[in-house]
Amino acid sequence: MTVIEAVALTKKWGDFVAVDSLDLSVAEGECYAFLGRNGAGKSTTARMLLDFIRPSSGVARVLGGSGRDPGVRARIGYLPGDLDLPKSITGSEAIHYFGSIGRTPDQAEVDGLVERLGMNLDRPFHQLSTGSRRKVGLVLAFMNDPELLILDEPTSGLDPVLQETFRDLVAERKARGATVWLTSHVMSDVEHVADRVGLIDEGHLAQELSMDELRRQTTGEIKLTFPTPPDPTAFDRVPDVSEVHVDGVELTLHVDGPVTAVLARAAELGAVGIRTRQRELEDIFLETYADREPER
Amino acid sequence: MSRTWLIYGRWMRDRRRSTLLWSVGITLVSVATAAFYPSLRSTAQSFGEGSTMSSVLGLGEGVDPSTPVGFLWAFNYSNQLPWLLMALGIALGTASIAGDEGDGTLEYLLAKPVTRTEIAFARFGGMITVLVVASIVNLVGVAVTMPLFDLADSTTVTALDGTTSTAAGATVGDLFVGGLSALAVGLGSGAVAYLVGAATGRRGVALGVASGFAVAGYVLYTLANVTGDYEWLTWFSPWRWFIDDAMMVDGLTLDILWPVLLAAGSLLVGWQLFLRRDLQR
Repeated sequence: MTVIEAVALTKKWGDFVAVDSLDLSVAEGECYAFLGRNGAGKSTTARMLLDFIRPSSGVARVLGGSGRDPGVRARIGYLPGDLDLPKSITGSEAIHYFGSIGRTPDQAEVDGLVERLGMNLDRPFHQLSTGSRRKVGLVLAFMNDPELLILDEPTSGLDPVLQETFRDLVAERKARGATVWLTSHVMSDVEHVADRVGLIDEGHLAQELSMDELRRQTTGEIKLTFPTPPDPTAFDRVPDVSEVHVDGVELTLHVDGPVTAVLARAAELGAVGIRTRQRELEDIFLETYADREPER
Repeated sequence: MSRTWLIYGRWMRDRRRSTLLWSVGITLVSVATAAFYPSLRSTAQSFGEGSTMSSVLGLGEGVDPSTPVGFLWAFNYSNQLPWLLMALGIALGTASIAGDEGDGTLEYLLAKPVTRTEIAFARFGGMITVLVVASIVNLVGVAVTMPLFDLADSTTVTALDGTTSTAAGATVGDLFVGGLSALAVGLGSGAVAYLVGAATGRRGVALGVASGFAVAGYVLYTLANVTGDYEWLTWFSPWRWFIDDAMMVDGLTLDILWPVLLAAGSLLVGWQLFLRRDLQR
């Protein structure tokens, strides 16, 4: 079942195109990370999914219906990039209020979330730090056992321990069959929790790849270790090799093609160690946006 | 409990303190003004001399500011009280949708299984409730304290031509009618702020348009009374029916329905426009 589906989804304000003919499909149980620079159209897409704003053209379907339908929104857990609640509301009041409006949460589930995230229940929202507000938002998003989680920068402001807790929570919800759609600038989060990544650039979906694909990719960088400092020209005649650097007993090179010849030459020279660097999401992110202006 | 009630209840809860402060503040102004009756009643008639002051004090034909009811009308119920209730109404009407939208709290609420219709009606109901609470507190405050200032007693009034007559003391019924008409003005102005806020989602625009409506209406009405020019324009001022009718002195008229109709129209139009637009961020 497709949980999120966008077909030629477009949002314009006058001449400004925030999202441009976006086609997107997220399957049930999948964790989809929607990445992009600030102003790329991530939050605008989320806001269209939830019917805060209406598409200029195209269609956005969520859980088989429209975000305009309260019945659909009852099945969604949402964490906005900037969570704003009434100033005087306390954590426990927020749980009670939003729990009363939506699906009634299981109290044991709520207690467990509060304990794991270390949420303060008694202080008014306006007195909480950024991280503490994030905790409130996470509890509210997860507490109703949602079928779909829409999380905008979920770990922003959380310490590393809580980031780990967040990853565990996402994994648990996925194990229960929930679908997760998130945006993040923390690439390590995405690499840990996402099954698939979409990179949006100036309203377009610039690239989409699964994390399995990403893990299979290498940068083409090979680092060889020798018993003694090697000659930097030793790989000059090996095809497709470039960017050779020697640092002590280590020689680093870049191969843009089959590595067979490199490995044969390394064995011939008596290499004692070899390492390849896996391509990381951050590399792809930086490559995708390398030529862009700083921020719109 | 329905979601509309839950939203209404939360909004009211968030405004407990401000509702209390507004109610007490408005009542203190009314009581403080009433306290001047013993010292001002002998000279009150002279305050209305001149068309400008007469217009400002709502001293239409048959309104004598030296009588208890005439004094309360001229020095509070025709000006201070409606202005304060208008300010409260505009603040509430602005906050109800545009204010919460600007703060970002409305968007989060709409991520939950609630409809915009439920929010629109719950918030409008909240605005009316706070205005009614403030009006009731004011009514009780003035009713309890007015015997201390001789306002509940009958008084002998000497007209400018030397004739004397007896004027009845103010009753709770008088205070109710005066407060009700002032409440209606506050509601009408608040509804304009609500309408503009619901239509645009912009707090500043809602505040500006509703305040302009209230102030321009008052200035227009006063200037037209003083100069006699552009009298027809005063029909667009809420003050025309309010001051001309002097309901606290002369009794309720059907004109009190004008602001109620304005409020109902604002609710319906604002609600429909709110349903059709993007949320502001």
